[in-house]
Amino acid sequence: MRLNALKSLLAVLAVCLSASALAADLVVWHSYRAAEKAAFEKVVANYNKTAAAKGVKVTTLAVPYDAFADKITAAVPRGNGPDVFIFAQDRMGGWVEAGKTIEPIDFYLDDATKARYLPTTFEAMTYRGTTYGLPLNYKVITMIYNKKLVPTPPKTSGELVAIAKKLTDKASGRFGLVYNYGDFYFHAALMNAFGGKVFAPGPKPTLNDPANVKSVEYVMKWVEKDGILPLEPSVALITALFNEGKAAIVFNGPWFLGEIAPNIEYGIAPLPVIDETKTPMKPWMTVEGVYVTAPSKQKEAAYDFAKYLTDVEAGKVLALEGRQSPANKAVYLDPKVAADPTLKAFREQVEVAVPMPNVPEMTMVWTPATTAMNSIMKKSSTPRAALDEAQKAVAKDVAGLRKK
Amino acid sequence: MPGPAPPNHRRRFTAGVLLATFLGLAVSHAMLRASLREVADSASRRVAAVSLSALAELSARAGGRGDAVRKAVSAWQQRTPTAKAARVMVFDGTSLEASTRAEDTGEKAAPRRLSKDEKPLYDMAQQLRAAVETNREEGQKRKREIEPLSGAGDAALAIAEPLEKEGSVVGLVALEAAVASREVGDSPWWPLGTFLGTGLVFALVSAGVSRATLKPGGAGEKVERGLLALLAVLATLGGLSFFGWYSFGELEKARKQEHEQVSGWVRAQGDAVRAVLADQGLPGAGTVKPGDWDVDAYRTPLGVLDAEGAVRSQGADARAVATERSAWRAFALLFAAALGLMLVTGFGGLSRLGAALVEHRQAYLYIAPAILGTLVLVFFPFIYGITLSFTGSNLYNSSQSIAETWVGLKNYGEILGNFNVAVRAEDGTLAFNYENFYWTFLFTVAWTVSNVAIGVTVGLILALILNTKDLFLRPVYRVLLILPWAVPNYITALIWKGMFHQQFGVINQVIQMFGGQPVSWFASPGTSFVTALATNGWLSFPFMMVVSLGALQSIPGELYEAARVDGASRWQQFANITLPALKPALVPAVILSVVWTFNMFNIVYLVTAGEPAHATEILVTQAYKFAFEKYQYGYAAAYSTVIFGILLVYGTIQNRVSKATEAA
Repeated sequence: MRLNALKSLLAVLAVCLSASALAADLVVWHSYRAAEKAAFEKVVANYNKTAAAKGVKVTTLAVPYDAFADKITAAVPRGNGPDVFIFAQDRMGGWVEAGKTIEPIDFYLDDATKARYLPTTFEAMTYRGTTYGLPLNYKVITMIYNKKLVPTPPKTSGELVAIAKKLTDKASGRFGLVYNYGDFYFHAALMNAFGGKVFAPGPKPTLNDPANVKSVEYVMKWVEKDGILPLEPSVALITALFNEGKAAIVFNGPWFLGEIAPNIEYGIAPLPVIDETKTPMKPWMTVEGVYVTAPSKQKEAAYDFAKYLTDVEAGKVLALEGRQSPANKAVYLDPKVAADPTLKAFREQVEVAVPMPNVPEMTMVWTPATTAMNSIMKKSSTPRAALDEAQKAVAKDVAGLRKK
Repeated sequence: MPGPAPPNHRRRFTAGVLLATFLGLAVSHAMLRASLREVADSASRRVAAVSLSALAELSARAGGRGDAVRKAVSAWQQRTPTAKAARVMVFDGTSLEASTRAEDTGEKAAPRRLSKDEKPLYDMAQQLRAAVETNREEGQKRKREIEPLSGAGDAALAIAEPLEKEGSVVGLVALEAAVASREVGDSPWWPLGTFLGTGLVFALVSAGVSRATLKPGGAGEKVERGLLALLAVLATLGGLSFFGWYSFGELEKARKQEHEQVSGWVRAQGDAVRAVLADQGLPGAGTVKPGDWDVDAYRTPLGVLDAEGAVRSQGADARAVATERSAWRAFALLFAAALGLMLVTGFGGLSRLGAALVEHRQAYLYIAPAILGTLVLVFFPFIYGITLSFTGSNLYNSSQSIAETWVGLKNYGEILGNFNVAVRAEDGTLAFNYENFYWTFLFTVAWTVSNVAIGVTVGLILALILNTKDLFLRPVYRVLLILPWAVPNYITALIWKGMFHQQFGVINQVIQMFGGQPVSWFASPGTSFVTALATNGWLSFPFMMVVSLGALQSIPGELYEAARVDGASRWQQFANITLPALKPALVPAVILSVVWTFNMFNIVYLVTAGEPAHATEILVTQAYKFAFEKYQYGYAAAYSTVIFGILLVYGTIQNRVSKATEAA
C-alpha cells in the first residue's frame, strides 16, 4: 500500500519534471526604465500568453545601461548571459569580432520578415554581409524648436541662419541655435549632408576627407561669422538654455524631450536642407536591435520572440506607451501612431538618416574626433589640420588592432 | 661546549641533484611526448587540409553546383576512403549540392535545402566568406580560411573551407578526415636510465670529494660545500642536456616522417583529382598543381612541398627552425628552474622550510585561509596581468591563446623605448608628443608633487588654525572642513568641471566681475592642469588636516610654555616643537597620499578628460584609454605593470629613507 503510494508520487514527480524540462525558459536582458520598461513588460506578458501553448516562457531582467555592454561582453561568452538582449548597434562589430557573443540570424530570416523594416535600420544590423539582429527601434536627432520664439520652423539653412540671427543676443546669453556641435555624433548630420564619411569600405578611416573639412568649416561659419551658436556647448548648458527660453532652436534626439520644462511649448521638424549642397542634414541613427546570443540553448525560440518583439502588435505598444520609434514600417499605418506628432516627426526625419557605423573601429574614432572638434572650436588649429591629426591617430589605432 | 652538528652537505646536495634531475626529466619527458603528439597532429591536419583543398578545387572546376559536382564528389569519395562525409553547400537557395554522408540518402539526398539543425554549416559558410573578404581588403591573412566544424567526435577531423567561383565565395566545402593515431613510440627507459646514471655518477664522485675534504688535514667543510655545489651543477646540467640531445633527435626523426607522409598523400590526391577530371570529361586536368594543397589554416602554402608534391629541403628546414627556437626557449627555462631547485635544496632551503612548517604548524594553519584568498584574489589577477603584458592581445585576437599572441618584451619596448617626447616645429616652438610615456610620467610626477604639497600645506595651516585654544564654534568648522572629503569625488569632479566652463562657469563669471577676460580653461595644458589641481586640492586637504590635527592635539602644552619662558619666537616654537611632533603622523600620510594621487583616476578622467589632446593624462587614465577605447589589452597591461614598477621603486626608496631617519 505504502509502496504503491510512493510509486505514484514518483510518477507524478517525473511527469512534472519532464514537463518543465520541455518548456523553454527564455531570459531577456534590457536596460529600459520608467515608461519604456512598463511598455516592454506589457509586450512580454502578451507574448507569454500566446507562447504558453508552445511551452515557452519569457522572463526579463533590467540591467543598468552603464554596465550593460560590458556585462554582455564578459558574461555571454562564458555562457552566463541571457538568450536574448536588446542593445544599440554601435558595439555590434566588437561583439562579432570577439566571437561567441551574438548569433547570425540569416539562416532564420525570410524575405517577408526582412521587408517589414525600414531598409536603413536593417542595414544597421548587418556586419560584413551577415545579419546579427532584428531592428527594434531607432533614435535620431532632429530639430526641436520653441514655438513661441519660432512660429514657423526653417526649411533651409538660409532660413535657419536668418531666423537664428534675429533671436541671438550674446550679451544676454540668448542664442538662435544651440546644439552639441563639439560632439561628433551631432556633427555627423552636417558631415553627411556634405557627403563626408568616417569610414570607407575596409573599414579605412577617412576622417580628413575634403567633404568632412568643408562641413566643419561650415559649422564654424555658423559660430563665428553668423554668431548664432554659443561657444563650448555642453549637454547641461543646452538643456538649461532651452528651458529658460534662451535657445530658440535645438538639434537633439528623443531623449531630450523628457528634459524639456513643462512651460515650454515645443515643436519638432525635420533638419533643414543645406543650401550649398542642396541636400538635407542627414543625422546618424542609433538602432536598437534584438540579438540572439550564441551560447543560447533555445535559439529558435529566441528568434521567434525577437520576431514578435519587432512585429506590428508589439510595435504599437512600444510606440504609444514606451515612446519608442519602432523600425517596423507597418506600425506607422496605425491611426493612433500616425496622429502622434512626435512619432510622426521622427518618422519623417529617419527617411534621410544614415545608420551609424557598427564596426569595432568606430570606438577609436570618438576621442580623436572630439579632440579635433575641440581644437577647432578653440581656434588652436584649422579644420584641415585638426582633422589630419585625428585621421593620423585613428589610422594608427586601427592598424594597431589589425596587426596579426 | 661544542656547537650544533655541521649540516651534512653531501646528503643535501645528493637530495638536490636527485630531486632536480627527477623533476627535470619528468617534465622533459612530458614535453617530448607532447611535441611528438603535436607532430602527429600536424601530420593529420595537413593531410586533411590536402584532401579538403583537393575536393574544393574539384568542386570548383566541376562548376560549383549541379549534377557535375555531385558526380565528381562521389567519384572523388570512392578514391579517398579515409575521408568521409564530403559536402558541398552553396548560398544560392541555401542548398546542399552534394553530400556523401550516410544520412543524406533517399529523401535527404542532395540537392536539397539545408534543414534546421544544419544552421551551423550555413553560419560557417558566411563566416568563411567574411574571412576571405576581410583578408582581401586588408591585404593580409588575418582571419582563418579553414575552420573546424563541431560534431565530428575524436576519431575524425571535420573541417570546411570556402568554395570560390570566379573570384567570389559562393559556398562551402566540408569533409571529415580520419585522424592518425596519436600513439607516440618513445620509451620511458631513456629518461629513467639518464636519471639513474646521473644519480650514480654524482654519488660516487661526491663520496670521493667528501672523503678528501673532510679528513683531518683536508681542505675543510666550506671547500667541501663549494666543490659539491659545482659537482651538483655539472651533474644536473649534464643529465638534462643528455636527455635534451636525445629529444631533439627523436623530434627530427618524427618531422621527417611527417613530411614524407604528407608528400605521399599529396601525390595520391593529385592523381585522384586528375583521374576524376578525366573520367568526368571536365577540363583542366593538366593545370592541377597538387603541391599548392599543403596549406595552413589561413590557406597559405607551407612551402615544404614543391608543385608536384616532392619535399623541398629549404622549406622543411625553415619550418623546423621556427619550432626549434621555441623548444630551446622551453629547455632553457626548464634548466634554469631545475638548477634553481637543486641549489636551493643543496644549500639547505628545503630542510629549513620543513623545520619552520613543523615548528609553527598551528600558525600556518590559521593563516592558510588568508593565504588562499590572497592567492586567488590578488596574486592570480596580478600574475595574469603581467602575463598579458607579454602578449599582443587586443579585441580581434582575444579568442587566441596566450601562446599564440606572445610578443615578449615588445610592448615594454614600445612604451619605454619611445623617447620621441618633443619635436621642434618650423617656427621654433616645441610641439610635445602627448601620448609619449615619458611625457605622461613627468606629468604624473608633477601632478603628484604639486597635489601633495598643496594638500599638506593647506591641511596643516587649517589644522593649526583649528587648534587654537577656545576657538568659537570649533566643532562646526571641523564638520564643514571635512565635507569635501565626504562628498563622493565623482560628484565633486563633475561640479568643478561645470564651474570651469568657459562661457557659463562660475570661475569665469567671477573673473569677469573683476574686469578680467574669461579663460578657456581646457584649451591649453597649463590651465587644464590648474583645473584638475584645484579640484584635487579641494578634495585632499581634509585628510591632511585631520591627520595634522590629531598629531597637534597630542603635543603637550607644557612644551610651548617652556619654550615661551625660554624666549623662543613663534616661528622657532613651530619649527622645533610642532614640526618634529608632526613628522611621525605626516610621513605615513604623505606616502599614502602620494600613492593615491599618483593613481587618482576619477579627477583627471572626469575634470579634464585628458584635454587638450591627451596633454593632461596621468599614467592610469592613459592605460585605461589604451585598454577600453583602443582595445589594446596587451599594451595596456604592460603600461599597468610599468606603473606598478614605478610605485614599487618609490615605495622601497621611501621605506629606506624613513627607516634611515628613524634610526637617526
